[in-house]
Amino acid sequence: MLVTDERVERTLGALAVAVLVLVCLLVVAVLVKAWPSFSYNGLRWFGAGGEVDTQLRAMREGTPLPGHGLLYFRAWPLVWGTALTTVLAVALALITSTLAAIFLTEFAPARVRSVLDPIIRLLAGVPSVVYGLIGILAIAPWINAHLLDNGRKQSVAYVVQLNGANLMTATLILTVMITPIMVAISANALEAVPPAWREGSAALGVNRWRTIWRVSLRTARPAIAAATVLATARALGEAVMLAMVSGGRAFAANPLDGLTFLFEPVRPMAAQIFQESEGLTIGPLGHTIYALGAVLLVSAVMLSLAGWAAKQSMKRYGIRA
Amino acid sequence: MAVGAATRGAMPPLSHPRRASVRSWPFVDRAAYVLCWVTGIGLSLITAGIVLFMLLKGVSYLQLGQFIHSPSPSLHQTQSGGFSDPIVGTLLVTAIGIVIAAPLGVAIAAWLSEYGRPAGLARAVESALEMLAGVPSVVLAIFGLLIFAQGFLAFMSQRAFNGTVTGQSFITAGIVMSLLALPLVVAAAREALAQLPDRLREASYALGKTRATTIWRVLLPSIRPSIASGVVLGMGRIIGDTAIITLILGATLKNEPATGTPILGTLTGTGSTLTSYVFNNSPAGEGNSHEKAYAAAFVLLMIVLALNALVTLLASGRPQRERKLRQRALALVPWTR
Amino acid sequence: MRVYRTLIVSIVVALVLAVPAGALAKRLIIGGSTSVLPLAQKLATAYHQAYPKLSAPKVGGGQSDIGISGAAKGSFDIGDSSRDPIKGVDPHGLVFTKVARDGVCVITNQANPISNLSQESVEGIFTGRIRDWSSVPGSRITGPIDLFDRDGASGTQDAFQHIFLGETLKISPTATAETSNGLEQNAVSSDKQAVGFASFAYTAGVNAVGYQGVACNLRNAKSGQYGGVRNFWMVTRGVPKGEALKFIKWVTSGNATTKRIINSSWIAVH
Repeated sequence: MLVTDERVERTLGALAVAVLVLVCLLVVAVLVKAWPSFSYNGLRWFGAGGEVDTQLRAMREGTPLPGHGLLYFRAWPLVWGTALTTVLAVALALITSTLAAIFLTEFAPARVRSVLDPIIRLLAGVPSVVYGLIGILAIAPWINAHLLDNGRKQSVAYVVQLNGANLMTATLILTVMITPIMVAISANALEAVPPAWREGSAALGVNRWRTIWRVSLRTARPAIAAATVLATARALGEAVMLAMVSGGRAFAANPLDGLTFLFEPVRPMAAQIFQESEGLTIGPLGHTIYALGAVLLVSAVMLSLAGWAAKQSMKRYGIRA
Repeated sequence: MAVGAATRGAMPPLSHPRRASVRSWPFVDRAAYVLCWVTGIGLSLITAGIVLFMLLKGVSYLQLGQFIHSPSPSLHQTQSGGFSDPIVGTLLVTAIGIVIAAPLGVAIAAWLSEYGRPAGLARAVESALEMLAGVPSVVLAIFGLLIFAQGFLAFMSQRAFNGTVTGQSFITAGIVMSLLALPLVVAAAREALAQLPDRLREASYALGKTRATTIWRVLLPSIRPSIASGVVLGMGRIIGDTAIITLILGATLKNEPATGTPILGTLTGTGSTLTSYVFNNSPAGEGNSHEKAYAAAFVLLMIVLALNALVTLLASGRPQRERKLRQRALALVPWTR
Repeated sequence: MRVYRTLIVSIVVALVLAVPAGALAKRLIIGGSTSVLPLAQKLATAYHQAYPKLSAPKVGGGQSDIGISGAAKGSFDIGDSSRDPIKGVDPHGLVFTKVARDGVCVITNQANPISNLSQESVEGIFTGRIRDWSSVPGSRITGPIDLFDRDGASGTQDAFQHIFLGETLKISPTATAETSNGLEQNAVSSDKQAVGFASFAYTAGVNAVGYQGVACNLRNAKSGQYGGVRNFWMVTRGVPKGEALKFIKWVTSGNATTKRIINSSWIAVH
């Protein structure tokens, strides 16, 4: 079999370029399909104004709302819902995963570690539909029965109805979903810290915790940053679990409500896309859904860029993921 | 002081200084220590809790007959049908996805690692793969629908009688699924290729082999365990995905072939997988039977557990790699072509 | 070289075989109402058993409004709807064919087993005028009312509003909207203060409330005593033609198979 290097190089290169072209096609196609919705609404697409469900219904039925066209859409409740769940879940997961990674690499006895490692890695592989099932059948009713009392429901009864499918449930389950990935990456990075650095710190009389905090964690910062970017991407794109657990109403949860704010319903963008799956062929509705997809896509791209930038700045002293 | 010690007698036996106990740390550090323990144990308890909960529910609702029977439409799902079709569907979609993603991924990894000219193009391909890894699967799903609903791709799915192309079939779902697994395979293969010592390549070139032959005969066989673990990771991601299945596979109850042709009919037909079956039977879907949902979710969890164990098994073959490399280097000598 | 040639030849052969096969692969695509979905699935399976040479119709969901607009646009051959056509809202040129009737019950949690609600109570609760269970006669619990509605695209919601609330009153906008009968049933069964409405088939695990003195069950619906009954329609763009006509004719023919299927949980009209 006589193949010249050049022919093979060209074939493999063509395959690689095909994937590149496909990804570009993905971005272009979604943006083109989404453009009518953005051009009609302008920047106000991201603003607030009316109920998302009413606007979507108008598009489905083909009867525009009074004073607006069919493409009228104000995505603020969806954007705010996505931002809330993602930021809260990633913040919680960052703290939890760092502490758990430190525990696994530094404090846990070897036998405990060998048992816990595969258990936590298993958590990373559980499909989101299983989380959604447990959430909707076990966790949401529990929260509704034990944490929500009538007084709290009364306080916002004129604006929104509270039940188990709310911001708290969604955030908690999302945190549990993204923590294992971060633990795995952070633990690997903490392990790769040069022992000489830790021993040097110990030799200076610094206790173990401070060594971890000041030396190991600092060194592992690029890896933790990469893990955070990965986790944020996953949280942003989580559609099925959130659709099952918190699809009730596209409501912009109000932080000024105090603690009740945690119990208000949310609907993130990915969940909205998933719920509207059957209506993609209908003109204005399709454009709006692709517009939501375009926003998610652009966010994913910006996340990769942010992660790359963060890693560049930390590269000098840190350990790459 | 040495003089003083010598006059006072023999040195005391050498012993390691006692490690300062946690009790001597300042309060904040002690609190952090306790917090770490609590988080670590807590996370494991949560995992154990989830697995045990699914185990309990699954075992109570799972019946062996469900593996053999097909789902049948009925309002009282607790008494009718099983999930044999969804299991077949899962296997089919995973197989199609991996058959496309594995060779493609290895080829791209080989190109990036061994050729990679021009450099700008290589960086662009890397960024594209990274972006693909971060794209939400719903967005991939709506993109897939857009592409496969075009008229010229109608042979991959079915047409309605009024002419619209549905774009929903096993083939289209498999193709979109391969995009999910691709970045994982490429990453695993690239990392492994980067860790191969240069002397392997140099030895092959010294024997007069071209770069292509080196890749095909020397490098790729050496990284087989890494490719395998990358493929298994990709499989895990494919098996766990629901959004693409619901949008692109049609999520019908049974696997419905499009035509009478034996294999091609099933491939262009719609069907369901375990994930869409669980979703449909949960309160979020229309199947209205959480017993079946629990049973299917339990089976899904077991499959994921098995895949995880497989990855750990494959990854543990590392110490043998050095030995294999040496064997392969020696084997190059008598091989002539 | 030989590998390349064999590869290219096999791909071409596969494509040549696949393309005409794809051209022949036409299927009846049905979608729309999630309430009609269980009935449509059963009918499709039985139709395939009766005519094995034809590929089974593909039945999907999406709620009634999607069924109607999908049929108008052409993405479905037949759209399912669980609400009556609304002049001025539905696209022109659609033909609605009635296939069955279905009952809608008001449902409450089993901790609150109300046996009957009058028209006034139903109107007060669902428009949000009555906000506490203590103001509802027959209620066993107190506390705020948790109202559960259906998504805007739902035919069940439209049917409920027209039948139970009349033409002018609308369900309170603060109600939580669920996207399927199953989710509605789940929500009501897990919340003590909940009240909602669902199709007959989804009343397991919740308390089905009687309406205006008549219990909500299949027998009362068939006899005509229970008032909360709505129509199931199959919608086509223009008069049904070809395969769609064959299917609809079979469904509405009143033969033994379809009669048996429809009468199991719905009310036959043919």
